Amino acid sequence: MKDFNWKKELKLLPGYIVVVLWVLFTAVMLGWILGASFSTSREIFTGKIFKFESGFHLENYVTAWQVQNVSVFFGNSLLYSVVSCFGVLAISAPAAYVLSRWKFTGGTALRLGLVIAMSVPAIMVIMPLYSLVVKWGIKGRILLILLYIMMRVPYTTIYLLDFFATLSRSYEEAAYLDGCSAPKTFLKIMLPLVQPAVVTVTIFNFMSVWNEFFMALIFTSSESMTPVGVGLLNIVNSMKYTGNYGGMFAAVIIVFLPTFLLYIFMSEKIIAGVTGGGVKG
Amino acid sequence: MKKNKAMIFWFSLPAVLCLLIMFVYPVCRTVLMSFFQVESLTAGLSDWGFYGLGNYSKIFGSQSFRVSMTNMLLIWLVGGLLTLVLAMLMAVIVTSGIRGKKFFRAAIYMPNIISAVALATMWIQYIFNYDYGLLNEMAKVFGGDKVKWLGSDMKFWSMVISFVFGSVGYYMLIYISGIEGIPQDYFEAATLDGANKPRQFLHITLPLLKGVIKTSLTFWSINATTFFLWTKMFSPIDTEESTIVPVVYLYDTVFGGKGVVTRDAGAGAAVGVVLTAIIIIVYVITEMLFKGGDLEY
Repeated sequence: MKDFNWKKELKLLPGYIVVVLWVLFTAVMLGWILGASFSTSREIFTGKIFKFESGFHLENYVTAWQVQNVSVFFGNSLLYSVVSCFGVLAISAPAAYVLSRWKFTGGTALRLGLVIAMSVPAIMVIMPLYSLVVKWGIKGRILLILLYIMMRVPYTTIYLLDFFATLSRSYEEAAYLDGCSAPKTFLKIMLPLVQPAVVTVTIFNFMSVWNEFFMALIFTSSESMTPVGVGLLNIVNSMKYTGNYGGMFAAVIIVFLPTFLLYIFMSEKIIAGVTGGGVKG
Repeated sequence: MKKNKAMIFWFSLPAVLCLLIMFVYPVCRTVLMSFFQVESLTAGLSDWGFYGLGNYSKIFGSQSFRVSMTNMLLIWLVGGLLTLVLAMLMAVIVTSGIRGKKFFRAAIYMPNIISAVALATMWIQYIFNYDYGLLNEMAKVFGGDKVKWLGSDMKFWSMVISFVFGSVGYYMLIYISGIEGIPQDYFEAATLDGANKPRQFLHITLPLLKGVIKTSLTFWSINATTFFLWTKMFSPIDTEESTIVPVVYLYDTVFGGKGVVTRDAGAGAAVGVVLTAIIIIVYVITEMLFKGGDLEY
């Protein structure tokens, strides 16, 4: 703990005011939404949400979860995020490894292609993908899983590549002398060594897929494959008819919670990852 | 270490396939499609009719597209100024030696990690709400009149403000990493020479942040050009002139929307190509303007 120095703190006061107001605003917003998610529409409109005169309306969550199908959206998003995270790793980690270890024909082109692909806007790819998907008859959940995996491959490969490149070659030489095959060396020795990077990139992949909206909106053809983002949009739109404000705010909280909780526990790792990979001053 | 050709092939093949299917092929086909008359996305190549620059003259002749481009420019310029200045302000404050630095940094970045649909809903259904919203409640406390934040005159700016709020944290992190990369003795020497904090910011921090400012400008341009979600949230059912942006115009043109009589995939592709060209041009211009920004200390 630093010593408390009045003069120094006073100088910083304007700065404190700005950041405290900013964070306070965020906290008020989240707090109000949480309060509203336990209230009735009537209480929301009369400004009585924090009195809870008619009790905690946990049934808002039940309504959102069951009647408004948030359980389906949530399950879908969880499936998309988790499966994509593993799928991306299965494709990206081997590619990142060989790219960082050997010079080979097409290696430089592949690397450059991946870097460029990272900044290709989705609008340039969705139209042909749409026609491909129709032509090949790919439907349902597997479609979004495949798209999300391919979407995250460039970023993940480039991110892991930098970490593999920092590992000493003596690990592989020792493994080779012990008679360990190259693929096995990768799986048993090299991959565990970059585990921290794998964890970081997986967090980013998870959040990115969980929050993805554009492709989900275009490729979702039925309620049973709708992820949370598009699902929440549908709930908000239908609210004009249902008038269930409490249920809508409960749905907002349910959609907001997973990445928020992840952030509460991992904020240091996430923040270090944002500026660590790719962004260089 | 021995080069294992079979392993290199099998290890990189899936990534190569992803790149080809997800990026190379679609980008080429989109560019090609922008020069053809294509009504439906699912139409085969044989149904494409060569159209030259027809799609481009169609979209630039369209009133909604021109409005959408103006809106995009306003988001880029006004939203960008607000976001980047606020982000710089927050970054300077957070690195100025305040207590709870890690907390403030994490709290300001937080809106970036939650679902943007949820964030936009919070703003639309609470902050901007006419009956019980935060802004109108505050107006009541200060004796002001209620404002229709989501009425057609205010909607665009309400949307920009909430978008800015959600973006500041990310650019703040970029600036913080830049500021923390500047050696501390520069500031110590300046303090000894009697330079005050604002002067230090103008003459040391800002020039040395050239590189990260360049990065942030490029990212912002991509963000503003591909702006979509917030318009969809602020005008969910029907696209409105006040909030339309090019990607929404593209979406309506290709997948159908209000006022779209016949779908036109070719015109949609042309929109995509125009937007990508804008991103590339802005990137090249910033690279030229900020030449030599990558300083080494």
